[in-house]
Amino acid sequence: MLKKLLALTFIAAASIGGPLIAQEDSRQAEIAAGQDQKAADPKPVQQNKVERALIRFKEGTFLGRFSNGLGGFRLKAGGLAPGTGFGIGPEYRRNGLLGGELDFHASAQASFRGAQKFDLGLTAPKISGGRFFADFYAVHHDYPILSYYGPGADSQKTGRTDFRLEDTAVDATFGVRPINHLTLAASAGYLFNNVGPGTDSRYASADQTYSPAQAPGIDVQSNYLRVGGFAQYDWRDNASGPRRGGNYFAQFSDYRDRTFGLSNFRRLDVEAQQYVSVLNQRRVFALRAKSTLTFRDGAQPIPFYMQPTLGGSEDLRGYRPFRFRDDNLLAMNAEYRWEVFSGLDMAVFGDAGKVFANKSEFSLRHLESDAGFGFRFNARNQTFLRLDVGFSHEGFQVWVKFNNIFKKGPVHTSSTMGDF
Amino acid sequence: MRNTIFSNRPFTVAVAAGVLTLGTLGAAGIGARKKFYSDDPLWTMPRPRSVVNATSRTLSEYYDFFENTLFPPGQRAKHTGVSLPSQAINTVDEVPDSAWYTNRHGSRPMSLEDLKQGPGDTTPPAAGVWTVIAAKNEGVTPGFRIRDAAGRQYLVKFDPLSNPEMASAADTIASKFFHALGYNVPENYVVYFDRSRISIGGGSMLKDGSGKQRAITERDIEEMLAEAPRSADGEYRVLASRLIPGKPLGPFEYFGTRPDDPNDLVAHEHRRDLRALRTFAAWLGHDDSKALNTLDMLVKEDDAPYIKHYLIDFGASLGSASFMANSPRDGNVYLFDWKSSAVQFFSLGLYAPKWQRAEYPKLPAAGRFEYEVFDPTRWVPDYPNAAFRNENPADRLWAARKIMAFTDEEIRAIVSTGQYSGPAAEEWVAHCLIERRNKIARAYVTGTSALDGFEIRKDRLEYRNLAANAPAAIQIQWSVFDNNSGQQRQLPGERSFQLPAADGASYLMADLKGETGPGVSVYVRLKEDRKAVVGVERHFGSIQEMN
Repeated sequence: MLKKLLALTFIAAASIGGPLIAQEDSRQAEIAAGQDQKAADPKPVQQNKVERALIRFKEGTFLGRFSNGLGGFRLKAGGLAPGTGFGIGPEYRRNGLLGGELDFHASAQASFRGAQKFDLGLTAPKISGGRFFADFYAVHHDYPILSYYGPGADSQKTGRTDFRLEDTAVDATFGVRPINHLTLAASAGYLFNNVGPGTDSRYASADQTYSPAQAPGIDVQSNYLRVGGFAQYDWRDNASGPRRGGNYFAQFSDYRDRTFGLSNFRRLDVEAQQYVSVLNQRRVFALRAKSTLTFRDGAQPIPFYMQPTLGGSEDLRGYRPFRFRDDNLLAMNAEYRWEVFSGLDMAVFGDAGKVFANKSEFSLRHLESDAGFGFRFNARNQTFLRLDVGFSHEGFQVWVKFNNIFKKGPVHTSSTMGDF
Repeated sequence: MRNTIFSNRPFTVAVAAGVLTLGTLGAAGIGARKKFYSDDPLWTMPRPRSVVNATSRTLSEYYDFFENTLFPPGQRAKHTGVSLPSQAINTVDEVPDSAWYTNRHGSRPMSLEDLKQGPGDTTPPAAGVWTVIAAKNEGVTPGFRIRDAAGRQYLVKFDPLSNPEMASAADTIASKFFHALGYNVPENYVVYFDRSRISIGGGSMLKDGSGKQRAITERDIEEMLAEAPRSADGEYRVLASRLIPGKPLGPFEYFGTRPDDPNDLVAHEHRRDLRALRTFAAWLGHDDSKALNTLDMLVKEDDAPYIKHYLIDFGASLGSASFMANSPRDGNVYLFDWKSSAVQFFSLGLYAPKWQRAEYPKLPAAGRFEYEVFDPTRWVPDYPNAAFRNENPADRLWAARKIMAFTDEEIRAIVSTGQYSGPAAEEWVAHCLIERRNKIARAYVTGTSALDGFEIRKDRLEYRNLAANAPAAIQIQWSVFDNNSGQQRQLPGERSFQLPAADGASYLMADLKGETGPGVSVYVRLKEDRKAVVGVERHFGSIQEMN
């Protein structure tokens, strides 16, 4: 086909060019003849099927419709607790209510592994020009297959069981941004808990393996009133893909057992993230240290389902999710990232951490650790996909996540399971 | 040599290839054709033929990126180290005026005032109310379209909060430079306005992120303004780009020709004005010089519609990437490049190329712009295109000569149109442009390449030397040239710059050689009333013959 077209074109050119050269001694005339020849047979601009499809895709703003929704509705994916399946379901979102001050959202999600999540939120993100914010959030989870490996750092991988957690949390938060980068907030809420047998047939149910002495609250559960507050100082250059700056926060919560009054405690979460870059930010060292400390009322135990957990895609990436639980936690992460091309950063990382019963054990000894590598896919300087592979003495884990490794800040409207 | 390949667009290329045999300007003698016509050198293209049924089209950014990155279209040399000759040039190796290009500074010196004014007649939005008639709140740079009190329409774009003044200054400055260099560009202005001047026109629509068209609300305006920097006195600073007159037909591509445009005869990948755009873009840091930032407009001249070709959107020039400061990789490596990606992948980032070690002053208004690491020979846009790939030494030399025409004073004058509030940013941008200009000159204008402005004065061949270090000695050899056969007959002993006696000859040819640089052939037409240079050929060995 190409040869034919070429031959035809050259023949046409030669047949016109011959007489023209004989007749004219003018460059203008030569070019004009070419113009006349093309003007005699104009053709429309054509595009191939792939390009036309991509244009339709862009003009149809399918991605925009997917992310922004249609008529306020969109599909919400992900966000359930690790190991409970990929959650998907409808979300309704309306921004700019009450003269633009109030945003509303509600969603319902389920996974093929039987997990469910329903939530509803009302947020006024920018009161008085952004100086203040207010937030109301209610969420209900039903996670039928959450992992439990037994208490403490000495729990065994082979001790894996599962349990069902049903919880409902209702929280209200009010905050202020007194100066640039700094956020202060106070919150109050109520938490309803229910624990039952796990449904994963591969594992024993936690209540069959662990006694209430080992797993406090496995037999009876408490509801909690919680009040607290947090402070955050965030000077990262870009929250969606930081390369420079820091993010530091501390959150304190007082949990009052409103069911039996036998498991009151206070919880302090502190976290420091530091991003150091070199070579024009093409290399980034991302460092994070975090600790959760709990303070009991006397000898009152903290229910196992309220204990801090370690392991999974957010901290110890060489271990399974919720691999370790105890009253206190210490974790550290270090990542070295380098740009491969504009849409991809690679990373090598090392994680270390431990859970411990007594605060006297707060030290860098007896840490569990792992190492691994990962890929960070970016668009417009925002990480939209993270792939990590972590190796530990318990094997290796592969994580595909749609977020950064380190969370953006305190979860001032969390439920029992924190972020999830 | 006929080592060429063809793109996956056979028809376009085939037509172009055929037309080349007819319409190549300044091509070496082909068959029995005369080398020079009576009207050579041509300085203006023939009056454009009327365009009927011009097709309006859109271009997929994704398709353009992947096609140019993975399946490069257009005709190009098969082997590295060689390149195809330039087209759309006249017999003295210059670009004639056309719907693409107009000889301005560098050919016909412009005054400081003209350089600063740029295109149009200096018509920034008039005082009074700006009526918003359309808006977009998504994309790289949100903004709106306004109609001023005089009824003129402008696109209004904001600077990023992180870099006040950066994008608006870059867009304005670069548009003035590209205009002075000869390209068609929109009128761009830095303007300040107060919120009270904005009103929403009846029926004004906005396309939101979900693709839905809806009426623009006050909140939309407030949200856009909330993301825009303000000056100390509370005014907003924006880039106002006046709408180009005519009917927009969508972008042009850097390869092939428009099949609906009878005046578009030369494949774009061979047009000197598009190939050399790489060097101009390198100078000005216009790494976003993709097809999507071009625009074909159907305009009328004497009631005859024809297509005029524009460069648009220079917000990602100098140190700006429009919505943020440049990435250090901009201009140094493509967004995706197999080789550099493989090196980074396997070296675990331990290998740090020079551009990663570049130093930038902390000037948010200037973004990331520098000259120390800048290498004009290695500069690349965000992703490749066929014309830039085909840029050959003659194209680079032509571009370098145009750039060298800008004096320090002229560069500073144009940079001042960016209206930086602080002197440091303005000084730095001007300093970088001056140093980058000098680097381009040193890279391309050396040895015999520096010989320019050939003319006959008092029966003597005269020229200018553009390089500071003039070649020590230029050797010259005269020949008689037969315009009909292309044959040359050397005139032994004629080795001075004085025109030799050659009874009966219509053309003379002077071969100039120096220690370095390409050989240069200068053709002189001998007429009783006038002896004039009609041809200049620079013999870069790396440029192969076109098939």
